[in-house]
Amino acid sequence: MGLALAPEIAVLAAAVAAIFVHLFGKERGGRAAGAVALAGISAALPALILAGRSGGQFFAGSFTLDGFAVFFKAVVLSGGLLAIAFSFRYFRHEGTEPGEAYDLILLAIVGMMFAVSATDLVAAYVAFETFAIPSYILTGFCRRDKRSPEAAVKYFFLGTLSSGIMLLGMALVFGLTGETNFAAIGRILNGAGEPLALTGMILFFAGLFFKAALVPFHMWAPDVYEGAPVPIAVFLSTAPKAAVFALLIRVAAGLFGRFEAQWTGLFQVLALATMFWGNLAALLQRNIKRMMAYSSIAHAGYIAIGLAAWGGPGRTAVMFYLFVYVFMNAAAFGLVLLWTKGSGFGEEVSDLRGLARMSPLAAASLVFVLLSLTGIPPTAGFMGKYLLFQAAVGRKLYLLAAAGALNSAISLFYYFRIGRAMFMEERPSDSAAARPSPSVVAVLALCALILLILGVLPHLVSDWASAATFLNP
Amino acid sequence: MPILSVITFFPLAGAVLLLALPRGRGKAVKLAANVVTGLEFAATLLLLRGFDPGTAEMQFVERAPWIKSAGIQYLLGIDGISLLLVLLTSLLTFLATLSSWKAVAHRLKEYYVFLLLLEVGMIGVFVSLDLILFYVFWEVMLVPMYFLIGIWGGERKLYAAIKFFLYTLFGSVMMLIGILVVRGHYGTFDWTAMTGAGTFLPAALQGWVFLAFALGFAIKVPMFPFHTWLPDAHVEAPTAGSVILAGVLLKMGTYGFVRFSLPLFPEASRKFAPLMIGLALTAIVYGALVSLMQKDMKKLVAYSSVSHMGFVMLGLFAFTPLAIKGAVLQMINHGISTGALFLIVGVLYERRHTRLIADFGGLSSRMPVYAAVFLIMAMSSIGLPGLNGFIGEFMILMGVFPVNWIWTAVAGLGIVLGAGYMLWLYQRVMFGRLDNPANASLADLSAREFATFFPLLVLVFWIGIFPKPFLAVIDQPVEKIVRIVHPEKEAAAVGAGPAEVR
Repeated sequence: MGLALAPEIAVLAAAVAAIFVHLFGKERGGRAAGAVALAGISAALPALILAGRSGGQFFAGSFTLDGFAVFFKAVVLSGGLLAIAFSFRYFRHEGTEPGEAYDLILLAIVGMMFAVSATDLVAAYVAFETFAIPSYILTGFCRRDKRSPEAAVKYFFLGTLSSGIMLLGMALVFGLTGETNFAAIGRILNGAGEPLALTGMILFFAGLFFKAALVPFHMWAPDVYEGAPVPIAVFLSTAPKAAVFALLIRVAAGLFGRFEAQWTGLFQVLALATMFWGNLAALLQRNIKRMMAYSSIAHAGYIAIGLAAWGGPGRTAVMFYLFVYVFMNAAAFGLVLLWTKGSGFGEEVSDLRGLARMSPLAAASLVFVLLSLTGIPPTAGFMGKYLLFQAAVGRKLYLLAAAGALNSAISLFYYFRIGRAMFMEERPSDSAAARPSPSVVAVLALCALILLILGVLPHLVSDWASAATFLNP
Repeated sequence: MPILSVITFFPLAGAVLLLALPRGRGKAVKLAANVVTGLEFAATLLLLRGFDPGTAEMQFVERAPWIKSAGIQYLLGIDGISLLLVLLTSLLTFLATLSSWKAVAHRLKEYYVFLLLLEVGMIGVFVSLDLILFYVFWEVMLVPMYFLIGIWGGERKLYAAIKFFLYTLFGSVMMLIGILVVRGHYGTFDWTAMTGAGTFLPAALQGWVFLAFALGFAIKVPMFPFHTWLPDAHVEAPTAGSVILAGVLLKMGTYGFVRFSLPLFPEASRKFAPLMIGLALTAIVYGALVSLMQKDMKKLVAYSSVSHMGFVMLGLFAFTPLAIKGAVLQMINHGISTGALFLIVGVLYERRHTRLIADFGGLSSRMPVYAAVFLIMAMSSIGLPGLNGFIGEFMILMGVFPVNWIWTAVAGLGIVLGAGYMLWLYQRVMFGRLDNPANASLADLSAREFATFFPLLVLVFWIGIFPKPFLAVIDQPVEKIVRIVHPEKEAAAVGAGPAEVR
């Protein structure tokens, strides 16, 4: 059992260590805390492999370690790793190294790792809040920028409201069944007809939809991703989304299997609304962070196609897409850190003008990331969309698949505004000829490489995902 | 030796080599790119050795599992139709590279890398027999073309580049959904297995899937009314880009119809044939009329492509062996003559930096060799007997005539108009008085420029006088397609083969 929790313990230990390191480390403490965080996550990944070998249920069935959980823990850890890698650059430029940022990221990761394993209402809620509360604080970390605290307040109010709604749904479910364990609830709900259970399900899901930023529960996302410090936006737009979709799949399959016809219909509607709204709104943006915020909303819509298709292929597609999404979305937000502008970073599309001349490697990597976001081969993003659309077509959801395809064509228009700026427009001569940050270029190139490898050899991850879709509620 | 893999990925290796060359070595980059595309052309010629024209089966087949869990294979193979298109691609890419020697002066390395990547995509499209692999190459080719237009293009390059990219992507994503539905029926992406299965999609579904594929292909061809990206892209692209766009990229659309739509969706093809032919005839006449009105030489040639590709579509959807053979041959002919016409315009643009017809006149006295080349290519485009265009157009008209003589008459009108705009263009540019002083000192074709035209001139006469070797390789594959898509036409055509035009 100790081994089963080893990854969580590694991250938690790193979080505690980071607190002390930056408390006692004086001015270099923040940097040291970051190193501790990086070490903690790096240790958690091999621990996860070891833990995955055992598996089973713990804490009276409230914590399940199955292939599904292991897969999502790996996704969450990858998101955390990328966020911390970008943090070094960001906070060095900001001048302050707030060590507590690293503690909070680690704590949020622990919460997510528990959330993807939760098979009990109480455990799920506690895990959910464990990653929600650090997220609110992290959003407001950039006190210099007025948008940051404003976003934090907005996020906090809407977030707690949605948590409350979710809790209400959980309470209904508990009241109907008298159980908190997913498996036990599933047995009772699937046996007897209980119309109120549908209300419980909708309230429960609403909380999750909010965190996944599905339209019409997305209002907070553009403001939060734009206002939050860049590495935090990287973090918030990737890891929690994976955790929330994992919980959604577990809950939908385990608790509300009886309502499959209802919720697959619901996901179809949400997928359509989210894709179109996200992509059309992104067309209007000039600020990269805001554009990518809408883009990440649209991607949640693509993922919802997989949920609407459901079945083994649908879940495999969702899992593969989330894995890939972490790398392409992290790169899409992280690219803002390439160049500084004034006291901050160049956030406008026009700030990337002439990048192809300054750093061909960075520009080529970014083009690759943009192709992946659009869904053009030979990238992992294409393979992800292929799996999603294939799952939908397999369920005869032809129009949904066609809508997804149409959306990827729409998204090309705004993604390649960035491509155009990098390759086809000249850098104005009056702007500083600063070189793009080498560390950021390295991370972007790494993301592009992963997207290329998974674009050519997608089965490295899709076979893993497909083996892990078997749920063990 | 897996020769198809070699010719597909050799340009990619060349692109990597170019990237490895040190900065500031412009000449070395140019030389390397020319050597790579030249070797690539030589390599594709090797296909002729060992190619058996007597069969409709795929040859040089390479098969390996790629993504096992999804049933996607790495499956390559060619028949006579793809053979000709592969040869056309490698030749035109080589000539386009050669023609860029002086025309492209900045960001050389990127330029040639994109050109080579483009070649990978184009060759890949013509040799893939797995539908997903085909789709991958189909899309891969968009990206380098987008950058070629957007970086080295003309004044409105940014607009033209994204328009090209968006339009074609929109069509191809719909094709992707179509591919997935097809796979749902056959349980495989393998083209050889699909055509060998002997079953087809249920009729209702077949219609939708045909339309999804047709959208992807029709935008590429481009068929009226999906042609509006073409004038922008062709005009704004650098010369080499226009040559490849007109010479090869448009053929991908018609190739898609003949390779996938006709044999996989025969019932839907017959059902939608009146629509396709109606659009093809509209394109023939409309394209020719718009060409007549153009003031810009490049735009004129671009619109003439709309008209000529209408001929190809007409031939394909007449479903007679003669018409389809003519259409396939006309694909090659159009690649040769329109590719050459874009090079011809490029020669003048390089010297004068204008493409307006009104800026020229009387050039034949200054540039006699150029005038001769231009004349031959214009005649080839018009379809003068003895040159390549005649054979293709004549076969199409002959094949269409027994099906519906009105179609033939409308298409014939297109030929007359074609002669009109081409001859008028030639007259305004080459004849008359040389009254613009800027043209007084124009130099004739250099040896390098003549070298780019020479292989095309040879082909123009060769196909025009002795087309038999070209028709021989497409004979069996076309018969097979007709057997699938329209068995009665095949029976009726026995004995009345293409003997007339030999």
